Amino acid sequence: MKVRILRKQSPTAEPYWQEFLYEKKDNRTVAGMLDELNYKDNLKDINGNPAPGIQWECSCLQGMCGGCAMVINGKPALACETFLRDLKGDTVTIEPLKKFFTVADLVVDRSVISENLKKVNACIEEYKLSDKADHEQMYSAAKCLKCGLCLEVCPNYKDGRNFFGALFANDCYLIASRSGTQKEEIMESYDSHFAKGCSKSLSCEDVCPMKIPTLASIARMNRRKL
Amino acid sequence: MKKVCIVGSGIAGLSCAIECAERGMEVILVSPFPSERAQSVLAAGGINAVLSSEGGDSIESHIEDTLKGGCYIAGKESVKGLCEDAPEIIKKLEKLGTVFSTGENGKIAQRAFGGQSYNRTCYCGSATGKQIVTALVMECRRYEGLGLIQRRLWTDFYKALIKDGKCYGSVFFNEARMDLEIIYADYLVMATGGQNALFGKTTGSTLCDGYAQGRLFLQGVELKNAEFIQYHPTTLETQQKMLLVSEAVRGEGGRLYYVEDGKRVYFMEDLYGEKGNLMPRDIVSRTMERTGKEIYLDITFLGKKEILKRIPEVYDLCLKYRGIDISRESIPVSPSVHFFMGGIAVRNNHETNIKNLYAIGECASIYHGANRLGGNSLLAAVHGGRVAAESISEDKSETDVKNFEKDLEEERRKLSTRWASESEFPVVYLEDLVAETLKEDLGIVRDEERLLNGLKDVDYYLSVVEKLKYDKSEMPYLGFSVTGILTLAKVALTCALFRKESRGAHYRSDYPETKEEWQAATIISYDDGKFNVRLDSENVYES
Ligand SMILES: Cc1cc2nc3c(=O)[nH]c(=O)nc-3n(C[C@H](O)[C@H](O)[C@H](O)COP(=O)(O)OP(=O)(O)OC[C@H]3O[C@@H](n4cnc5c(N)ncnc54)[C@H](O)[C@@H]3O)c2cc1C
Ligand code: FES
Repeated sequence: MKVRILRKQSPTAEPYWQEFLYEKKDNRTVAGMLDELNYKDNLKDINGNPAPGIQWECSCLQGMCGGCAMVINGKPALACETFLRDLKGDTVTIEPLKKFFTVADLVVDRSVISENLKKVNACIEEYKLSDKADHEQMYSAAKCLKCGLCLEVCPNYKDGRNFFGALFANDCYLIASRSGTQKEEIMESYDSHFAKGCSKSLSCEDVCPMKIPTLASIARMNRRKL
Repeated sequence: MKKVCIVGSGIAGLSCAIECAERGMEVILVSPFPSERAQSVLAAGGINAVLSSEGGDSIESHIEDTLKGGCYIAGKESVKGLCEDAPEIIKKLEKLGTVFSTGENGKIAQRAFGGQSYNRTCYCGSATGKQIVTALVMECRRYEGLGLIQRRLWTDFYKALIKDGKCYGSVFFNEARMDLEIIYADYLVMATGGQNALFGKTTGSTLCDGYAQGRLFLQGVELKNAEFIQYHPTTLETQQKMLLVSEAVRGEGGRLYYVEDGKRVYFMEDLYGEKGNLMPRDIVSRTMERTGKEIYLDITFLGKKEILKRIPEVYDLCLKYRGIDISRESIPVSPSVHFFMGGIAVRNNHETNIKNLYAIGECASIYHGANRLGGNSLLAAVHGGRVAAESISEDKSETDVKNFEKDLEEERRKLSTRWASESEFPVVYLEDLVAETLKEDLGIVRDEERLLNGLKDVDYYLSVVEKLKYDKSEMPYLGFSVTGILTLAKVALTCALFRKESRGAHYRSDYPETKEEWQAATIISYDDGKFNVRLDSENVYES
């Protein structure tokens, strides 16, 4: 099969496409394929030209840390749980997440996620479990990997300057349901950085590797407002 | 204001950062990636604490179980501190927002892991580590907002700044600027996790490579108990890692077997009776290895409905990564490296033999002795961070500043010459070779001949490592970390060769007995090219 990768050598370099030949193995994940390509003594592209190793990020290799989020055949996904057998056609196209700054190849800088949370002081401060809190929903929301897939797929999320996206809604819910002091502040931030901008396409729920029911967080936040 | 630099932002690093900030100290929290990527998020099973004496449990029992599990070579005082702090830790984690699973009475639910006399493992569904990380990240963010904690990402540990037995901060490799930089600090706290890279594929994260421990050793920091490496008996191999198949499968009645002459042999039950499958991790792993056969774990008899109710995550994992439907077929399992009891030697306050240099979490060796009990390492990660912060805050000694700019220039020069040229055989390949060596020669069952072979291999790799270049298209970290990793491999082999007995996770077929004269921790130090090993018979590290 053919592997097309959008590459970039350094933070300041120009991106370019490069293609590789790879003998498809159904049970390989995209992460496994990248490892295998990189392991070649001298990586060569499809035209036989020497190519630098492909940079990508990983840690857990089992869909639990969010490190390997990228765009595979146009769909945002985790490379370590995307199997080649599930990809159609004999070309796989891999790009870095586009809503973040590309550091190198498939490695992106997602610090805007934590910076935004910091900006609005998203923390519990004083713990006070609200009677409306729901254990199961809190458990689900707290599983968020901060991988950025929900932001990548969202039609409303641009660069995180105003609209902070689905992961923010889930964190807001986690705070609103348990903070004695931050509730009002977080409701306001939720309004201005999420509720106003969300058009409820709900593509975020489909793409979430943790299957977080974001809609339920949104519903609970809206109910709280009433 | 005291300035503390913490390296690593898993549960240990986060805990220490928060505790330091609470005490009004200034913290710089360094890691290449955010906390969500740390190995801590993989911890599933739980965290131990005695929350009530109703069922007969007591802190004394937690202490005794921990000491016994560790085969009596962990310090009594430090273990006492750990277990006494545990109830407070759970309370605090809950207050910070950790979503613990609760029982019908609304109280935190508890279950038992192997080696425990009572149900004392608190858990958050099947994602305990992740839920704790989420809570700690939020609290950490609060102090970031207050300006007390500053996070530094894209930054890798390079070496500590040490002069005359005292630490002044650290040199880092800044991946954004592609350059070395110094962060001066009054105290340096290492929280870099375990040493998975020594063995290639393990159950853990690729970010835990052991480089920092190896590098610090070469700088004069003493290491401890490096021969004690815990194997988890039931893991499922994929191309890239060993997936942990939870002990819960055996807890639900799962049976281990191999096939001989077309028949299943339930070897654990044959040897140890009805409860054989649930024997401690080291015994199961060793017995599996001894059979020399492919081992399977059968849970099909439970039926799909019950499996999906009781162990859904195991069902999903096996189906997703290996296409195995565990309600219809057995799981092919093998033991894999899972946890490192050994690491940086620290005293009870988590300070190393170097003044103002601390180590916490899995990179430190203190509470687990020769074997760790499930649920005790998350506890140790949080507790260690608390103890270190307390000790630093109370330290009355003078802090001073020294200039290391000249050393920085020298390191810059060294790094750029290594990194600047092409190489047919980049240094990173040595990492794979050493993993092969250790798997072969520092496995579950060891003997002198294999350990000596392993040492010969690693010595050879060490003799060439400085002559090889780094691959220019890779991050320089992958190149310069190899020397530290190889050094740590030699440390582990040397300690395993030194300990002429079997104890806990260290099993020598040529010395199968446990001997009283070896009932002490192994300490290893570096002096001018020599690796010096001794037993800490006088318990220097227990004060
Ligand atoms: C699959 C699995 C399940 C487990 N389940 C349990 C359980 O149920 N209960 C339990 O008690 N324990 C469990 N453990 C063990 C437990 O997870 C770890 O011991 C614990 O999380 C270690 O925490 P830590 O903060 O020390 O290290 P980690 O969480 O590994 O964090 C290390 C940090 O250091 C950083 N780092 C590493 N190298 C460098 C460097 N050179 N420069 C800068 N930063 C660096 C990393 O990026 C990371 O931020 C489990 C382990 C695994 C693998
Ligand atoms: S590497 Fe952790 S999610 Fe893929």
